[in-house]
Amino acid sequence: MRMGPDLLVTLQGDLDDLTVESIERQVTSEIARTGAHGALIDVSSLDVVDSFVARVLARLVRMVRLLGADAAIVGIRPAVAITLVELGVSMADVTTALNAEQGMTRLRRLRAGTSAGIRHDDPQ
Amino acid sequence: MADDAVAVVEDPDSRYRQIMDAITDYAVIGLDAASAVRSWHAGAEQLTQYPAEEITGRSVAVFYPAEDAARGLPETDLRAGAAAGRHETTGWLVRRDGTQFWASVVFTAVRDRAGKVNGYVMTARDLTRWREQELTLRSVEQMVDSIADFEVFRFGPDGRVRSWNQGAQRLTGYTPDEVIGQHVSMFYTEEDVRAGLLEREMTAAARDGSLEGEGWRLRKDGTRFWANVVLSPIRDDQGELTGYVKVARDLTERREQDRLVRQQRDEILELSTPVIQVWDRVLILPLIGTLDSGRAARLTESLLHRIAADQAEVVILDISGVPSIDTGVAQHLLETVAAARLMGTVSILSGVRPDTAQSIVHLGIELGSLRSRTSLKDALQLALGLVEARSGAGNGAGARA
Repeated sequence: MRMGPDLLVTLQGDLDDLTVESIERQVTSEIARTGAHGALIDVSSLDVVDSFVARVLARLVRMVRLLGADAAIVGIRPAVAITLVELGVSMADVTTALNAEQGMTRLRRLRAGTSAGIRHDDPQ
Repeated sequence: MADDAVAVVEDPDSRYRQIMDAITDYAVIGLDAASAVRSWHAGAEQLTQYPAEEITGRSVAVFYPAEDAARGLPETDLRAGAAAGRHETTGWLVRRDGTQFWASVVFTAVRDRAGKVNGYVMTARDLTRWREQELTLRSVEQMVDSIADFEVFRFGPDGRVRSWNQGAQRLTGYTPDEVIGQHVSMFYTEEDVRAGLLEREMTAAARDGSLEGEGWRLRKDGTRFWANVVLSPIRDDQGELTGYVKVARDLTERREQDRLVRQQRDEILELSTPVIQVWDRVLILPLIGTLDSGRAARLTESLLHRIAADQAEVVILDISGVPSIDTGVAQHLLETVAAARLMGTVSILSGVRPDTAQSIVHLGIELGSLRSRTSLKDALQLALGLVEARSGAGNGAGARA
């Protein structure tokens, strides 16, 4: 789904290899087709996340970046956040946001350049 | 038996004599109408220690304890035998050396052709050991029955209840009449019966020698109680399983107390990890006291939920109230920060004292990109700057004020 200059990707339901492949195909081709500047990956529908899903997320982010766009993961739920930390997945270099709106703001700030905005994961 | 004995009395030289002498479990004594001993055999001698020549002609009263003989018990017994034809009694009898044994005695009257009593056959059996066992058994039963705080009952390998004590009655409300002979599954909940719990318990107890467990059991009125149960198999001398004994205790109250304690602990934890909203989209988590892993996990959870609920952008973790930072506490803090970051929220550490700063570095704790301020005021200023910089369309000026 297109939201201004960004693409909104909603992950939901059971993710298996086939679904993931199809999502990756759609996301990459859509970014290439529309020239979107950023992709918001919405995971707010996911109640549980395992290491497989964590890897899928990391892969999506890398693909988006290779296509010259920025990616933000939005809507990680409290329980999912705890699980990811327990799994040792910190996604330290990935922009995260509470919701899609906030995610868009952050992507915009990223594009505006680091001199004007502050990426929240910037070292002090 | 009595008729055979009569024959022996009448014909002591026959082969019945040998048969009689072979009997050692019983004393079979022939008495005449005047209650004097007229016939004797090896079994009688073994039991009473009197040789035949010494006892023949003496009164049956010699076998009775002095006080019984004095109150005329021998005569009473014989009269009863004559009146009913057969009189059965149990009581103490005396041996030649004065020792006593508990005997089961039968007096049978012997009549002549005219129907007049012309003698008696007295058979006596030593039941002293049996009586002791009986008394032991009875005292054990009474003991078990007097246990009111525990349910103790026995059931057979077929699951049918064989004994039921007072405690069982008190606990379940069933009287012995209502349960003895019934199947033990009546005390189990329907789900447990369907799940085959009872069979599993019986098998496990038989295999391991004993089984302890906890679970719901049913009372007569249909209510449940939480029981601690010990199930032990009973085996005979050959090791054959003859049943089970079950001892149960009502733990409902304790379970309820445990639940209350847990609930109170949770409430205290809740109180000890307050999350305060100080500004729009800014939360403060003041940490006070020592952080153990239970509290830390609780803290992370409540913080993340508040972040989601308030859509907080910045969280200030104020550690000025934490007496000392060790690797464990630091680890908890870092995990909280990482989880908050995954949700899209920045954390700021505040209240770092000089000694805390030293120990964090000395311990080699890597705080990564975590921002830190010494005072809450500075931290708050930084937080507000960050919120402004991120939400507004402004250029983020003042974020590093």
